[in-house]
Amino acid sequence: MFQSQTQSTTGGESNAAEKAEPAPTSLLANYPASEAAFDELLADDGKPRPHYSKLIGALEEFSAPELKRRSDTCQRLVHEQGITYNVYGDPRGMERPWQLDPIPFIIAPEEWQELEAGLIQRATLLNKILVDCYGAQELIRSRWLSPALVFAQPDFLRPCHNIRATSDTFLHFYAADLARSPDGRWWVISDRTQIPTGAGYALANRLATSRILPEPFRDNHIHRVAGFFREVQNSLLQLAPRQQDKARIVMLTPGPHNETYFEQAYLARYLGYMLVEGQDLTVRDNHVFLKTLSGLERVDVILRRVDDDFCDPLELRNDSILGVPGLVEAVRAGNVTIANALGSGIVQSPAFMSFLPGLSKHILGEKLKLPSVATWWCGQETARKYVLEHLDRLVVKPAFRTHLTTPDPEKPLSAKEREALKRHIEFDPDLFVAQERVKLSTAPSWDGKGLVPKPVGLRAFLVATGDGYRVMPGGLTRVSPDGGGRFISMQLGGSSKDTWIASTTPVEEDTLLHAPGKNIELRRTGNNLPSRLADNFFWLGRYSERADATARLLRTSLQRFNPERASGAMPLIVPLLQTLQTQGQLPGILDKPELRQSAEAFEAELLAAIFDPDRPGSLRLIADKLHQLAMLVRDRTSNDMWRVISQLNERLSTPTTSLVMLAGDAVGVLSQTLLSLAAFQGLARENMTRAQAWRFLDMGLRLERAVYLCTLLDATLRLPQSENPSVLEAILEVVDNSITFRSRYNLLPHAPAVFDLVLLDDKNPRSVLFQINQLAKHFRHLPQEREGADSGKNILQECAARLNRTDARELATKPENWPNTEVSRVIGETLRDLPRLSNAIAAGYFAHSAISRTGREVLS
Amino acid sequence: MKWEIIHRTHYAYAGPVRDSFNEARLQPFSDEWQTVDHFLLKVLPAARLRHHHDFYSNTVHHFEIVEPHTTLLVESHLRVTIKPRPSLAETDSPWPLARIGEAARETRVFDFLQESRFVEMSPEFWRQAIDVTDGVTDTWQAALALMRWVHANLIYVPASTSANTHSRDVLRDKRGVCQDFAHVMLGLCRSLKIPALYVSGYLATEIASATHAWVEVLIPGIGWRPLDPTHNCQPDETYVKIAVGRDYADVAPIRGTYKGTTERTMDVSVRIERSQS
Repeated sequence: MFQSQTQSTTGGESNAAEKAEPAPTSLLANYPASEAAFDELLADDGKPRPHYSKLIGALEEFSAPELKRRSDTCQRLVHEQGITYNVYGDPRGMERPWQLDPIPFIIAPEEWQELEAGLIQRATLLNKILVDCYGAQELIRSRWLSPALVFAQPDFLRPCHNIRATSDTFLHFYAADLARSPDGRWWVISDRTQIPTGAGYALANRLATSRILPEPFRDNHIHRVAGFFREVQNSLLQLAPRQQDKARIVMLTPGPHNETYFEQAYLARYLGYMLVEGQDLTVRDNHVFLKTLSGLERVDVILRRVDDDFCDPLELRNDSILGVPGLVEAVRAGNVTIANALGSGIVQSPAFMSFLPGLSKHILGEKLKLPSVATWWCGQETARKYVLEHLDRLVVKPAFRTHLTTPDPEKPLSAKEREALKRHIEFDPDLFVAQERVKLSTAPSWDGKGLVPKPVGLRAFLVATGDGYRVMPGGLTRVSPDGGGRFISMQLGGSSKDTWIASTTPVEEDTLLHAPGKNIELRRTGNNLPSRLADNFFWLGRYSERADATARLLRTSLQRFNPERASGAMPLIVPLLQTLQTQGQLPGILDKPELRQSAEAFEAELLAAIFDPDRPGSLRLIADKLHQLAMLVRDRTSNDMWRVISQLNERLSTPTTSLVMLAGDAVGVLSQTLLSLAAFQGLARENMTRAQAWRFLDMGLRLERAVYLCTLLDATLRLPQSENPSVLEAILEVVDNSITFRSRYNLLPHAPAVFDLVLLDDKNPRSVLFQINQLAKHFRHLPQEREGADSGKNILQECAARLNRTDARELATKPENWPNTEVSRVIGETLRDLPRLSNAIAAGYFAHSAISRTGREVLS
Repeated sequence: MKWEIIHRTHYAYAGPVRDSFNEARLQPFSDEWQTVDHFLLKVLPAARLRHHHDFYSNTVHHFEIVEPHTTLLVESHLRVTIKPRPSLAETDSPWPLARIGEAARETRVFDFLQESRFVEMSPEFWRQAIDVTDGVTDTWQAALALMRWVHANLIYVPASTSANTHSRDVLRDKRGVCQDFAHVMLGLCRSLKIPALYVSGYLATEIASATHAWVEVLIPGIGWRPLDPTHNCQPDETYVKIAVGRDYADVAPIRGTYKGTTERTMDVSVRIERSQS
């Protein structure tokens, strides 16, 4: 009945609301049952299958605008949670927002039970194969496995042979990509054993989908997934070589540029583990330690998101900068457990698939319950013959993780390509497999107006427990972007869905946040910050204040600059310009006579200091740097802080035309920027606990502010006409003290009072002394500095003592003598001490990370 | 024959280095033909040593030096007894070359039939191996022919290559040191599907004592037989075997990583003496 309708599968972005179309009679008006593929929603009689009927019923009850509203909410939730996927080779938008289709994929309870049993059997089998390959190698000796299948793989890690895995588990996590063929059967199309990713995205999808469809979620009795993650926590804890209440578990990430970094940060936070990079860890006497500000802390379990061959530059790939030297030996000594175990990548080779039915009978004594897509490994003679005869019907793939490229399966082979492929297979048969083409089943997706069938595949997740494998009741459903429906890649722009497993009985609420019956130890400290993160927070603070100071100086300069009489107005803002020049942001601005002549040229110069991405020190570059730093500490800051920085960066980097902007518009942009920075600094002050991360952020901010204040005061003192109230007024405006000054003195600014307020007033949060006092206060809460370094504590004491001795009243007379006063000397010495202080902080606290960053690791 | 050997490696760095993680393959094999009577490994600055056996059964010592240091000394002292091993007569023909494919079925030979870091099985190697063994029908005879060819056609030039020189460059330039002679021979043997592995060890001669490298080939029915393409002979009691692998990359005596300057000097000395006791 649906086949006469035109199919509309394009246009995910709907403009249905604006067009005011006649309301469709049914959500399924554009849902043709496909003949070639299995449809998850419609049975052969064209009616929804029983396990979908409740959801479809509920969706039909919502009006179309209501569904659209919920779908938009869904996108907003994804955006707000910052769910992203990094796309390789995409220079502009490295982070791509995660695509989530609001309509869940539902699997019937009976069917799920069967799948579960098959998945558990498969995980158990693959684990046993790994235990043998890295141990006795009986399977190879008795010819169940060909040596090439194991030894020709770059993923077979020879140094890990004979390392006994904790409780004989290599695969702590396992994921399988499943697809349903037109006859309704489920097949495994790929195994994930190296780093099974996606469970975090499945969790994020669940949180968003259950929020926009709460009624159907409740009424369908959908299994919760939180229980699965509790199993994950428990089983990782079991792996710790030390007593469990002391055990420390960390997640090892390759860093923010990895494609699934969002998921890593998200999962680490959800599971309560620290997200660390290789350089945060070190090996001492065959034990693994985390480098924190308070010293080294032992690590028991590493949840690995770095490819195993990159984990140790000593014994594995020696070009790796992501790993930890000595890690393999620490594993060998039994002092740390890595999940998944090093070397577990070999069984995800598709070449293994053709051996699994036989191995299942041999190892488990059972028939393989869940079939794999038909696979031929060319390393076997009969298989090779078959493949060479049926090249056009099969998809040829690399058997192992190599740089081998194989033809695009979506395009027919030319005669020349076929010949070349044949020759290559004959020359190096071990490296190739061929698989049957898969026709994916289709499931309903929201296209902005109604439901349309789109090809789907399911990634299921398993965790090893002390009591066998457990399957997440749910999973990550991936949706193919086009009608081809042969394979799905998030890299190539697919979308995703939540996966619902219906229960026949009501399910209990479940969340990781309050595990019933378990006492948790209350913790109030946060004093185990990795040195690398302390370093990043410090610079985040510095750059946020650098942005703030720059924006303030430029705003006041633009406001006070009068193009009508360029040369006349200039002197009033000379100290401001001098400050920007000293900081390298307006190089030579005061030395270029042509700028004094032409108001346009001068204004253009100021605008360039704001918007020009090619000018060192421009506000735009500072915002870029701020964004990069925020990204490096993203798993340690709130979503709000991240969003403020993202917006700030977007605002400054979008208009390339802004170089021809009017000064007035630029003032607006600067004011907006200052509000964003105030929001960021306010969020830091009010929403971060007073732990080490906050201290280093604030120290960076204070230090940078002191630098700009001193530079500005110094420039003022050197200017002959500085007693001019207009000059001093500009200073007060830059440091946001005009109101304070007026309420205190009720007169035109004069120098001693201004210097007292901005240099020496310890109640003024924008005075130099205030910054020094705050820095000293932070130092009292930090662990001891490393010995031998220039002591930051001492530098601060000297600065404070010097400032406290100073009396600004000596500026009451004769501006021409100012450069020789005590005030001037103190400012000069403070300016010299601040970079020393910054170096002392780096040497005292970031030293381990600094070495690995500047020094080079070399191989003897 | 009994030998006393002292093998000393001394690194001097231009500045302090730290976090040095190292593995050493310096302890010789004990097997049917060779017994290690005494082995002592000394590391300065002092470090705790741990050891394990690697994928090719070599003994690997691990040590880490975390504190800053400017020199590193690794010194092994050993006493070893080598039993006389009867040479396989150069006229023997124990296994037809036509049936060498069956050797691949033996356990643990897979790695010694493949390309590896410094060994390739390119058309150049294959053609050279075919030319050299033209008319040869026996595996042992083929291996001997390849050894003679390497010895006759490569010129031994000290310091003409580095530890990282690839065998394809050696085959092209026709010169190198013992490591290069071994790599070329491995490529030629493997091209003919004769399993061949790399051996690192010591050679005690009248004129000099030094670390040395040769190969072993698998002759089905006979076993692994050592051949030294540098000296065109079958190793005898003057050869002490330390470690085996696919090529030099698997058996480097000392390798490691550290943090700090790349500027450093390395000084190696080996002293071998005939021991009477």
